Amino acid sequence: MGRIVEASRAPALEAHAYRAQRSGRFREFVERESVFSWLILTPPILFLLLFLGYPFFYGVYLSFFRREVTGPALFVGLGNFVTLAHDPIFWQSVGNTVKFTAAATVLKALGGLGMALVMNQNFKFKAITRALLLLPFIVPTVLSTVAWQWIYDPGLGLFNRLLVTSGLTRTGFSWLGNPTMAMISVIIVNTWRGLPFFGISILAGLQTIPVEQHESATIDGAGTWDRFRHVTLPSLLPVIFIVTTFSVILTFFDFQLVYVLTGGGPANSTHLMATYAYSLSMGAGQMGLGSAVALSMVPVLGLLLVLLTWYVRKED
Amino acid sequence: MAKPAQPKTGRRDFLKLTAGAAGIVGAPWITKKVEAKPSTIVFARESSYVKNFDEHFQKVLIPAYQKATGIKIDYQIQAAGGSAVPQLVSMVENKSGADLAWVQQEWLYRDALVDVSDIAEAVGKEQGGWYDEIKLLSVDNGKWKSIPQANIGQLMVYRKDWFDEAGIKQFPDTWDEFLEAGIKLKAKGHPFGMSMGHGFADNYSWLYPLLWSYGVTVMDKAGKKVALDSNETVKVVEYVKRLYKEACIEDCIGWLDPHNNKAFLTSQISCTNNAYSIMVSAKRDLPDMGKVIDHALNPKGPAGRFHSLVPVTHGVFAYGPDPQAAKDFLRWIMDPKQYRPWISSGDMYFAPYLHAFDKFPDWDIEPRVKPFQKVLETGKLTSWPAPANRAHGAVINRWIVIDMFTKACTGTPTKTAIAEAVTQLKQIYG
Amino acid sequence: MVGELTWRKRTLGLWIPLALFYVVALFPFTWMAATSLKTNAELYNPKANPLSIQHPSLVHYISLLQETNFLTWVGNTMLVAVVATGISLLLGTMLAYPLARMRFRGAPLLAITVAITYLVPQSLLFVPMADLIGRMRLNNTLSAVILTYPTLLVPFIAWLLMGYFKTVPKELEEQALIDGASRWRAMTRVILPLCMPGFISAGIFAFTLAQNEFLYALLFLSRSDVRTVPIGVVGELIRGDAFYWGQLMAGALLGSVPVALIYSFFVKYYVAGLTAGAVKG
Repeated sequence: MGRIVEASRAPALEAHAYRAQRSGRFREFVERESVFSWLILTPPILFLLLFLGYPFFYGVYLSFFRREVTGPALFVGLGNFVTLAHDPIFWQSVGNTVKFTAAATVLKALGGLGMALVMNQNFKFKAITRALLLLPFIVPTVLSTVAWQWIYDPGLGLFNRLLVTSGLTRTGFSWLGNPTMAMISVIIVNTWRGLPFFGISILAGLQTIPVEQHESATIDGAGTWDRFRHVTLPSLLPVIFIVTTFSVILTFFDFQLVYVLTGGGPANSTHLMATYAYSLSMGAGQMGLGSAVALSMVPVLGLLLVLLTWYVRKED
Repeated sequence: MAKPAQPKTGRRDFLKLTAGAAGIVGAPWITKKVEAKPSTIVFARESSYVKNFDEHFQKVLIPAYQKATGIKIDYQIQAAGGSAVPQLVSMVENKSGADLAWVQQEWLYRDALVDVSDIAEAVGKEQGGWYDEIKLLSVDNGKWKSIPQANIGQLMVYRKDWFDEAGIKQFPDTWDEFLEAGIKLKAKGHPFGMSMGHGFADNYSWLYPLLWSYGVTVMDKAGKKVALDSNETVKVVEYVKRLYKEACIEDCIGWLDPHNNKAFLTSQISCTNNAYSIMVSAKRDLPDMGKVIDHALNPKGPAGRFHSLVPVTHGVFAYGPDPQAAKDFLRWIMDPKQYRPWISSGDMYFAPYLHAFDKFPDWDIEPRVKPFQKVLETGKLTSWPAPANRAHGAVINRWIVIDMFTKACTGTPTKTAIAEAVTQLKQIYG
Repeated sequence: MVGELTWRKRTLGLWIPLALFYVVALFPFTWMAATSLKTNAELYNPKANPLSIQHPSLVHYISLLQETNFLTWVGNTMLVAVVATGISLLLGTMLAYPLARMRFRGAPLLAITVAITYLVPQSLLFVPMADLIGRMRLNNTLSAVILTYPTLLVPFIAWLLMGYFKTVPKELEEQALIDGASRWRAMTRVILPLCMPGFISAGIFAFTLAQNEFLYALLFLSRSDVRTVPIGVVGELIRGDAFYWGQLMAGALLGSVPVALIYSFFVKYYVAGLTAGAVKG
């Protein structure tokens, strides 16, 4: 009889113990590092898969199709890329993008280094200076670019007014009309915008160099320049490298600045790959071709980054 | 998007059943009364330069229509400067958005537009008939897909005071005279500013008429063979090179549509090609300048005098829940009772493509506006003589012919620039 | 201080370059301000001195605020930036925490994948994105940009936060676990609160990126009342073929003010955020 009772109670007990054990086991399961990690990772990964992954694969897929707005999608294989290979404007945009990125990055890096060195000294209004000098980077690009349009105006703009009244030139330059000047103008605005980013980052890097290193170098008889070359610069290299890489990527993809300032003109001399892709897709309605231009950006950028890395490694 | 009143639909079904059961006689009358009517119609249109025109629509026409039919019009003003077309395209692709719109670049989505031939024929009959040229845009395979609302006239705009100073009493009649005048004026510090950038109106409005006046067209009439490569083309490109170098301000090679306005109003140029917005702005903000601005027809070439048409057409989207209601509205605004005052409110900035308006008294209000009426007589669509279709759209939106000129002006040999344009045309037209 | 700095050295090495940087950084803003306070007559006058204002006037500001949806745009921009930043911080934390502090299979692969997303240009994504947003019927809603901005912000926030998370010693977590806390509690009650400065700096940085975004806003927000400041100012202060330059400058200046204000309160964190990635990252 007892045994039957025990037997009848046993399942209930067992169930309870099993439940406790199961929740315990569940608990244990979740507590495992990999399970916990993947559970936490799931929402962001799902989000990125939907909003980043899907558009990415669709974008790549589109570049192999002839897809005009409101028209059907026709598979053309590498047809779009062949068309682009024969398109002089495409190659112009590639060249422009590389020129723009390289020139602006070098100027920003040098200017930023200079700014950091200057700011690394002690002076009273350091905090507010840091804030004010970062303004070009903070303010929405298109808003400051609108101001630059007027600054570059041939008759009323600040630059030409200064040049003419100071007597340096007779009529000033055609900042946005001459193809060469237009590229220079665009580079100037991008440099103006991005320089503070380099400056502040390099400044932080400067401030992490232990003072002792400088002191021991001075004791050893090193002058300012030597100290800079052998103590400061090597320590800064990692920071400069990271900031430069980041900046190269963002500058290479830049769209807003050229779109607002020149629209890609004059004579396509400031058309970047990003603006050309937009112009083809949304302007001419040739979305397959536009996507092909965009896809082509990736290997070109990759090449630039490889070159950059190789150059920095060489310096090491 | 038009929103049908939901409860009435359910009631309609129920009533249909009862009507069917009750008998045939009362049924049609009952069901018709409770037929779903849209409460709102969405009308998308790019903002017009003349504010009064938009305001007349919003303050006079919309309330009047609401009073007459109970339907509210949601007037969605699209920003100018090139964003209207991507929006329209997006509406068509997603089958949702406005019910009717100013269907810019309609060749991209004609299939998505409803047949409006009945409206077109009625309007044409009651208002003097349509100008033939616009039919090339609005009529597709014998069916009207859009109703032409008006033309935005583009003419030469110039500073009469500076021209007089330079001894040029009459605006140049031929392109050669035009070049001479430009050289003279540039020497006096008042260059011309002819837009050649990636805009949509002020570049096409003189470069294409220039080509046409030398007997050159981009494509043949059927739109199959490229007609741009000819000896005359070389002449025209060389002319433009000279004009740019010797008569124009350096900046104009990159000018989009608003830039020549700015340059003119800041006294940097003496002549450009534009709609009459420059004169209106000047009269409002710079009255002294406003007094000395005048308009002139495009110069003529050996093959004649031409102008470009900048059409405004309205179309109804098939995806809408009630295209017929949108069509009714469209018919209503084209009725002379509504249409004539509306056109008047725009000071003839918008010129109807209907012959009844050839002698419209409003043309005489400001004598300097009268030349714009002539534009309709010699005006051609940019696709002329070929059809205004998708391929043409690609050429326009990629500025193939415009770039030919600017490349030549910035160092590319003329023959190369022409050859590159021809190659691209062949690639686009297939 | 290393090395002796004479007064001359200080002027040459500090004051002059500093003044130069100030002028270069700020002159466009003073230009914006000057231009926005001129009447059209003065603005278009070629003979007027560009830097002086003869008859200062608030006419452009008034018409900007009264006749356009400028204030709506500012409100939209702030709302979008705040919500998108919030979502991005949440998702970014969830992405960064395991990658920074946990060991699990697939971690290196995941880290590389996240890094690679930097190399994907918006130019490739915008056509499919427009299609996706269209299908979800989110055109002309702020949700369209609120949902798409995190795709730009999350990888970046994750990178910044990973640096911060790595600096918290593992012992703290282990101690908490030993004391009986679950990993979840350890994460939310012990580790994350210590990273507040990191969140603030990542948040501020994301906020500035969000209110600077242009392409997606341009594509998805075409109706005037849902626009953000960048596209509202550039797209709507133009009627037909006439730019309203005075209003444009006023709009550009006013549009910069909220951002500058917010960031001026948090500049310490902003700078820390910028440098964390560069120095610690």
